[in-house]
Amino acid sequence: MIAKDFVRQAKDPFGYSSQNVNWWNALHIDPPLLISVLLLCGFGLFVLFSASGNDLDTVRRQAFTMFLGLVVMFSVAQLPASSFRRWTPSIYFFGIGLLIVVLLIGIETNGAKSWLALPGLPSFQPSELMKFVVPMSVAWHLGSRPIPPKFRHVFWSCVIIALPSLLVVLQNDMGTALMIIMSGVFVILLAGVKWKLVIASIFAVILASPAWYLFVALPHQKNRILTFFDPYRDPTGAGYNIIQSQIAIGSGGVYGKGYGNGAQSHLDFIPESNTDFIMAVLAEEFGLLGVAVLIFLYLSVLIRAGYISLRARDSFGRLLAGSISLVFFLYIFVNMAMVSGLLPVIGLPLPLVSRGGTSVVTLFIGFGLLMSVHTHSKTVVI
Amino acid sequence: MAGKWQLRDREAERALFSSRLFVASVVCLILFIVLLINLFNLQVIQHEYFSSRADGNRLHSQYVAPSRGLIYDSSGALLADNQPIFNLTVVREQVPDLDAALTLVGELIDLSMEDLTNFKTRSERNRVPFASVPLRYVLTEEEKARIAVNGHLLSGFSIESQFVRHYPFGKLNAHSLGYVAEINQSELDDFDEARRESYGGSNHIGKTGIERTYEELLHGQVGYEIVEKNNRGQVMRRLDRTDPVAGADLTLFLQNQLQATASRALGGKRGAVVAIEPSTGGILAMISEPGFDPNLFVTGIGRAEYAQLVTDEINTPLFDRSTNPYPPASTVKPFIGLGGLALGVIDKDFTIDDPGYFHLPGVSYRWNDYTMRTAIGGGHGLTDLRKAIYQSCDTFFYDLGNRMGIEKIHDFMSLFGFGRSLALDIPYARTGVLPSRDWKSQARSEPWYPGDTINSSIGQGYMWATPLQLATATAILANRGGVVAPRMLKAIDGVIYSPSTEESVSPLKIGEDHLSYVEDAMTMVVHRPFSDVFRDYGTAFEAIAMTDPEMEYKIAGKSGSAQVVGIAQEILQSSDIDTSDLNKDHALFIAYGPAQHPTIDPQIAVAVFVENGEHGSSVAGPIAKAVIDEYLLDILSIDFASIDDSLAEELSQR
Repeated sequence: MIAKDFVRQAKDPFGYSSQNVNWWNALHIDPPLLISVLLLCGFGLFVLFSASGNDLDTVRRQAFTMFLGLVVMFSVAQLPASSFRRWTPSIYFFGIGLLIVVLLIGIETNGAKSWLALPGLPSFQPSELMKFVVPMSVAWHLGSRPIPPKFRHVFWSCVIIALPSLLVVLQNDMGTALMIIMSGVFVILLAGVKWKLVIASIFAVILASPAWYLFVALPHQKNRILTFFDPYRDPTGAGYNIIQSQIAIGSGGVYGKGYGNGAQSHLDFIPESNTDFIMAVLAEEFGLLGVAVLIFLYLSVLIRAGYISLRARDSFGRLLAGSISLVFFLYIFVNMAMVSGLLPVIGLPLPLVSRGGTSVVTLFIGFGLLMSVHTHSKTVVI
Repeated sequence: MAGKWQLRDREAERALFSSRLFVASVVCLILFIVLLINLFNLQVIQHEYFSSRADGNRLHSQYVAPSRGLIYDSSGALLADNQPIFNLTVVREQVPDLDAALTLVGELIDLSMEDLTNFKTRSERNRVPFASVPLRYVLTEEEKARIAVNGHLLSGFSIESQFVRHYPFGKLNAHSLGYVAEINQSELDDFDEARRESYGGSNHIGKTGIERTYEELLHGQVGYEIVEKNNRGQVMRRLDRTDPVAGADLTLFLQNQLQATASRALGGKRGAVVAIEPSTGGILAMISEPGFDPNLFVTGIGRAEYAQLVTDEINTPLFDRSTNPYPPASTVKPFIGLGGLALGVIDKDFTIDDPGYFHLPGVSYRWNDYTMRTAIGGGHGLTDLRKAIYQSCDTFFYDLGNRMGIEKIHDFMSLFGFGRSLALDIPYARTGVLPSRDWKSQARSEPWYPGDTINSSIGQGYMWATPLQLATATAILANRGGVVAPRMLKAIDGVIYSPSTEESVSPLKIGEDHLSYVEDAMTMVVHRPFSDVFRDYGTAFEAIAMTDPEMEYKIAGKSGSAQVVGIAQEILQSSDIDTSDLNKDHALFIAYGPAQHPTIDPQIAVAVFVENGEHGSSVAGPIAKAVIDEYLLDILSIDFASIDDSLAEELSQR
């Protein structure tokens, strides 16, 4: 077995020394991914320090959460992807169970009942976890069968996606529900569903959205849509966040105002400057270049994640790794697009930069899964 | 299960996945590019626009109020300064529930309905967002503590210190200095753009007296500062500052010590005292009693306190008696007499035999000698001008007036400032009435009757003059006909202020012997003692010279007792006061000193007015003497016993 590994590693396109690969592989860690993630974490803490008004406490807490995430990632990576496949149904129903518990005894913040405070655990958002549980479950469903999937398999996949999404909608957290739906849909797309079906679905969504807006959407949701199209219809109310955020970004220019000099954020004109709108702080203080650096760091993670999914040995691993990569991308894109006014505002953190607990740990679970897929695939015995 | 696995085409599946991942990567790349294009648009193309928006968010220009110029008296005593007070102010934008917060504040400190209504008007006037609006002025230490302790319940409320006008001597100078108070809406409406700008940081404006007359000098120039404010309107940094220019410090001719003496001498009676330095026209004292505390107005006088000041119809403390007219009565006699001599109507030898009354030729009406009313009757007998002055003989002046005619009286008296205001910087001073044919036909649409002249010649009838005018006329007399314009302002920022008068102040062309004659007569008013000769003493001898046998210098003076006219019906019906008091004559006295001194020119001219004082000589006379004594002996410290030429020189240089 070990000898076989050596043969494989000799062909390693990245040309690691045999000795190294051996060690890293034994630890189930993928060095390029780890390095990219660590760089991203460092950059995130650096931005957070300024965004929090030079509050070391906040930064220390975030660093601790990241450390916790690394431990979780390391632990997850130790388990082979095959065992995740086995446990997927249990994890899925456990997740559904948590969502039901949230509906019963959850804590409401900002209008959404999404937090769960269980005794002995820090409070967390089960809906965040579902962003990975759902693609994992769909990958389990479709990966166990030949791809491209048949229509009835796609249908059941949709049921797998719909159940937790509905529960999250009931929590009144439309943004997270959309993210969960998208994460599941990515698996179906990667599994090779027919383009005809994809295009038909897109048309269906486009046709259905006016009906949704007219008959289903709640007033605050309509308000967000209207504000997206014209922030200045209520510049001191609903449009305030996006206007101030755009002012911060635009005033940053190419090179930014310098670290700690972001007047918009330090004078509290940007709301949620530590969390969802932290990109505005970055753009104000480091300009377009700073944002480009962040995008570069994200790209390095994404490229490695894509490579891992391509190299995965079986369908489940491929679909899981591929969907995790796309969910990660979705996080990044939706947050950046929302802060810069390209998408309506939905509550969504900027991965590894925004202050947050559950979202950070969830991301690290995703990285752990990627590493698991990558480092165990070579030793998988069918 | 195993069968399924066997049937799968692994390479096809891998290829399918790879192609799908490729498509996804392309889509991701496109979306990143869209994102970057959008950022490029915001950060490069629209950078200028958003930069200015960002600056507009945080940078605010605010006014810095200049500190108001101080006012000193002639000897350097501070009459008006600026002192810190502590105000409770509110930033409306930061108060979550204003009504609840105001209720709480009302429980902590004394908050009247007026404070609340004033606060409402102020906050409507103050349209700048996040500006702090005063709610209550002048917090006591205890109130400050109560607010501070409950600070956590009162977000948006803060205690701010502010410099406001303070008048250390309170009511003593209330009428002459005037006071400042909060700028009101109609004043704001009258401001032009520049003025509105320059008062951007000021809450107060001079309302009366010197404070109003010299508002422009005292106010100074507004400063500006650019501050950086955060989202809650708190000032984080000061970035740029144009310092305000403080208002000019004014030095007045006023002598606070003399003011105090005049007030003490009036002894709580209603009246006015005006004292003028004859050589300059500088107003040494100008008081009106009863006064009021001008400090009350600075921070907003309470409705009850104000009502008290306004509804007191007898004492009328807000009414400035020093610049409002009354019948001057016999105090005009020296001027009319001088006119008679100067215009050649009579000469020094002209004498009448006074029976105690006067008839116009062919008219049966008898003009009695009012000075005889309380006496045993009869007249002064043979009376020349000198005696007519020191005995205040009405009959002589009836006759003289009749000989001069109203036009000559008008024209001559006008030279002394009657019927007009010579004052340079007391624009609110009334002009009184110096009657003439023209005046009567215009003001009353009535012809001039010969009897009107008779009344006017003893300063009654239509003739009205203010204490300020009487003091001015006396100063011109003391100045030997040198016309002086009365003025308050002596120096600006320590630099002597010499106004350029448009009107020529050429001395009146009056013969020196006529002036000496009248001065002699006026000196006799004060100093001619009782003798065996019937009615041959000065009317003020008993009240002035006799009380001070050691008197080292002479005063030239003239008493007057004016008949009260036109008491308002409601006052007569008021039960508060014995109405007979209000029917009493007004007591007047004009004087200057030292008179007839070989080396020292007259240093002070005084007019005293005591409302319903009854006797000019005995009531107003001693007040004039007290004021002249204080000025000559205490303030100027003239030692008449050992006068030398150098002192005389020094005094004439002043």
